Order: sequence, then C-alpha cells, then structure tokens
Amino acid sequence: MRRDAILRVDGLSAGYAGEHIVHDVSLEVAEGEAITVIGSNGAGKSTLLKAIVGMLDGTRGTVTFDGAGISRLATHRIARRGLAYVPAERHLFTAMSVAENLALGAFPGRPEAAREDLVFDLFPRLAERRKQDAGTLSGGEQQMLAVGRALMSNPKVLMLDEPSTGLAPLLATEAYRVLARLRDAGLTLVVAEQQVPLALDLASHGYVLENGRVDLTGTSQELLGNPDVQRAYLGVA
Amino acid sequence: MRAALLDGIVLGLQYGLLGVGLTLIYGLAGVLNLAHGQIAVLGAIVVSLLMEGGRPVMVAAVVGIVAASAFLVFLDLTLMRAVYHQEGEQRILLGLLLMLGVAFAVEGFITWRYPVQQLSIRISGDAVTILGVPMPVGALVASGIAVAAGLVLVLFFRLTTLGRGVRSVIQDEAGARLCGVNPATVRTLVFGLSGALACLVAVTRSMTGPVGFANAIGFTTLALIVAVVGGLGSVSGAFLAGVLLGIVDRLSSTYIGTYVTTIVLLLCAALTIVLRPSGLLGRPG
Repeated sequence: MRRDAILRVDGLSAGYAGEHIVHDVSLEVAEGEAITVIGSNGAGKSTLLKAIVGMLDGTRGTVTFDGAGISRLATHRIARRGLAYVPAERHLFTAMSVAENLALGAFPGRPEAAREDLVFDLFPRLAERRKQDAGTLSGGEQQMLAVGRALMSNPKVLMLDEPSTGLAPLLATEAYRVLARLRDAGLTLVVAEQQVPLALDLASHGYVLENGRVDLTGTSQELLGNPDVQRAYLGVA
Repeated sequence: MRAALLDGIVLGLQYGLLGVGLTLIYGLAGVLNLAHGQIAVLGAIVVSLLMEGGRPVMVAAVVGIVAASAFLVFLDLTLMRAVYHQEGEQRILLGLLLMLGVAFAVEGFITWRYPVQQLSIRISGDAVTILGVPMPVGALVASGIAVAAGLVLVLFFRLTTLGRGVRSVIQDEAGARLCGVNPATVRTLVFGLSGALACLVAVTRSMTGPVGFANAIGFTTLALIVAVVGGLGSVSGAFLAGVLLGIVDRLSSTYIGTYVTTIVLLLCAALTIVLRPSGLLGRPG
C-alpha cells in the first residue's frame, strides 16, 4: 500500500435497497496519477463510484480522501472537499445556460474567470454555446459541459463514469485526449470505462471489476498483456 | 372595461405574490402547501395584535413576516422530515396530507383564539387617477410592494450564487449535490422565504380590505390556482398567471357576477391542466 494515495478505498461493499452489488473492493490512486476501473456492463463500476461520493445508502467499508475519512460524509460535503464526480447520466441543469451550469460547478464560491477560461480552452465548443440552454446541446457537448462543470471547483481528484458512453468513436477519442491533457497537467483521475483500450491508454494502473469484485489489478501494461483481459475486453482471440 | 382591467392588474399582482410562495415549495420539495393561506392569516393576526399594542406598522409587519417565516422553517425541520424520506407519488401524497392537517390546525387555532381579529392597514392619501380611473393609494402601494417583491425574487434567483443553488435543486437534485449544494439547507431557506411571502401578501391585501380568519381558505385556493396556471416552480410564471387571473377575476365579476368568479378561476386552472399541464411557464416533465 503506497503512502501517498490521495484517494483510498478499503473493503467497500455497496448497492441499492440493502442488496450489495459491489463486494469488498479496495483500490487507491496516488496524487497526479490516472487509474481506471474496467469491466463489462453491470459489473458494478457505477455503483462503486456512486458509493465513493456518498450517493448510496448502506455502504460498508472505508473511503479516505486527502488524509481524512469521508465514508460518512454527505455527497455535497465530499464535492466541496475536492472530489469531483461526473456520472454517466451527467445530471446537468438542462433548463440553465452553459454559463450557469459552469457557475454552479464553483458553488458555493463565485465562478473564477481563470477557471472558466481553462474550461473554454479545453472545450472551445462550450464557449461558442455559452448562453445556450444545456438541454439543447448535443450528447458530446453535454459530456464536455459535465466535465467542465466538475472542473470549475478546482478539484483534487476527478472521477468519471464512462466518459465515452453515447459518443461516436471519434468523439470518444477526442474526450480521452482532453483527459490526457488534464492528467499531464497534474490532475488525479479515476475513470470507469467499458472502452478498455482508451482507458488503459490513459491510466497507469487498472482494476478489472467482475460481478462486483476486483478480479485483477496491475499496471496498464500488465493488463494489456494479460490473455484474459485481451480475450474479454480487447477483442483478441 | 378600463377600470376592470386596472383593478384586475392590481388584484392580479396580489394573486402572483400569493402563488409564488406556494409554487416555490412545490417546485423544490414536492410539497403542496395547503396551509399557505392559513399561515398568511396567522401572520396577519400577529401583525394586527402588535399594531393594537401600539407598535408602528413597519415594525409589526416585519415581526409578523419573521414569525410566519419561522413557522414554516419549523415545519420543514420537524413534520416535513417524514415527507423527505419518501419518493415520488408517496412523497406528494404524504406532504399533501400533512399540510392539510397543518391547515386545519392553524385555522382551528385562529377560530378558537382570534375569530374576529382582523388586519387592516390604512394608507392615507387621495386616490390617484390613472388612465382616467381613480385608484386608491392603498391599492397602488400594495401593487408597488408586490412588483418589488417579484423583482427581488427574480434577481435573487437569476444573479446570486445562492439563488442559482436553489434553482439547481429544483432542476436536478443529484446534480446539485455533486456541485456541492446541500438540498436540505436550500429547502429550509425556501420554506422560510415562502412563509415570509405568505405574511407579506396578507399585509399588502390588508391595504385594500380587512384580512382575517375568513380569508384563509380563499388564499390557499387562489395560491393553488395561480401556481397551477403559472407552472409549479416558476416565479415569473406565478406573477404572469396572477395578473392574467386577476384580470379574468375582475372582468368576470363585472360582466358575469361575483358569485361565479371563483368557478371561472377554477375553470382557468382546469383548462390549463388539460391544454398545458406544465403551466404557462413551467417546464414539462
């Protein structure tokens, strides 16, 4: 166990309505590192991330973030501490403008112009559509806005659930290019993904989730070379 | 005709102010506050008792507004907790029943202790002639306060960080949490705001006629109609619907008859539900 982990999950079990979907999952990410949680649909990736940010009742296990236990904190408190989460459903404010969505990302502070510039630099399309309602954006633009909104709070760790979902292959590649830029700028990333090649290319470390348990873990190189991973997720016969 | 229109706008601004308090709580917490009118009258009684005790109107009004606001905050922190644990239809139903209970309790209390207590604030001054129609000063002051309150609300929700936080919870509670907004705090804030607005409208209504126990049920009914027509959760919708309904109200009592006016207003609400279920400015869904 490395000492410098900024986010550490120990023995986490979580699910819905008292029924656990994720069992005894442990993982950690060091500051400035990118990790990925890969697995097929229904493996429990979303449940795991939701449990980390306190969106599920009845979660067991501990989550340590930035030196403090956050297992019992409410979602809004976790967000304010700097653990940002972009869910697959995005949860944008569709009847508000792009600018207002971004401003809310900085809540309870006022949006800083420098942060906004950074987001617009990453996603020039959002700058063009500043005054447009979020609900009128295309799927790809909504994904950009969800990431942009999360970045407005200047988070220490950014967790994303399936950032490539619903995107055409070209757009998915583009989304991962932006994530790589963020990683290179020193932001810690946790990405849950089904598009395994993209995710392993971004991350240095991966966890393979199957039926709610960590089946396999290792560096991205190790996972890419693993015959089981190749067969299940990389389409190698 | 011109007089009916002007009267309608004056009345409609009051309707808007009445509806906005109800619409906010529904939009935010899914609770239909059937005690809105009763709480307004309770506030009015506090104000009138203080005025009888020799306090200046302004002081009495502020204390009444704070008291009504505190009462709703208290409800939010106690009785409503049970409602927030529920989801969807069950939440709406439980909120409805509990608030109906509060309405009966408050009305019972008023009938028991203050059955003849009335608030009536007289604004002295000669009638002002607008477009050839003489308008009493009280009506104009009441309208001015309603417009000012509406503008303050719109600016608060559009421009301030906190106001934006409130709207974020109305639109997507999970998204709001992820942005660091605490829905419980926002709820308490909006309950307090709604209570303050309820008493404010009782105060402004008392500038054109006495407000007492008999007004409670009518206030609640009107607030409901305005909220339905304007779109639940929409501030500007409530004021737009209020003014339209105020004009309908005056035209109908001038040309059809006072007794059918409430029926006409209810018909407006029914028509809205059939033709545009989300209301004039409400968002579908």
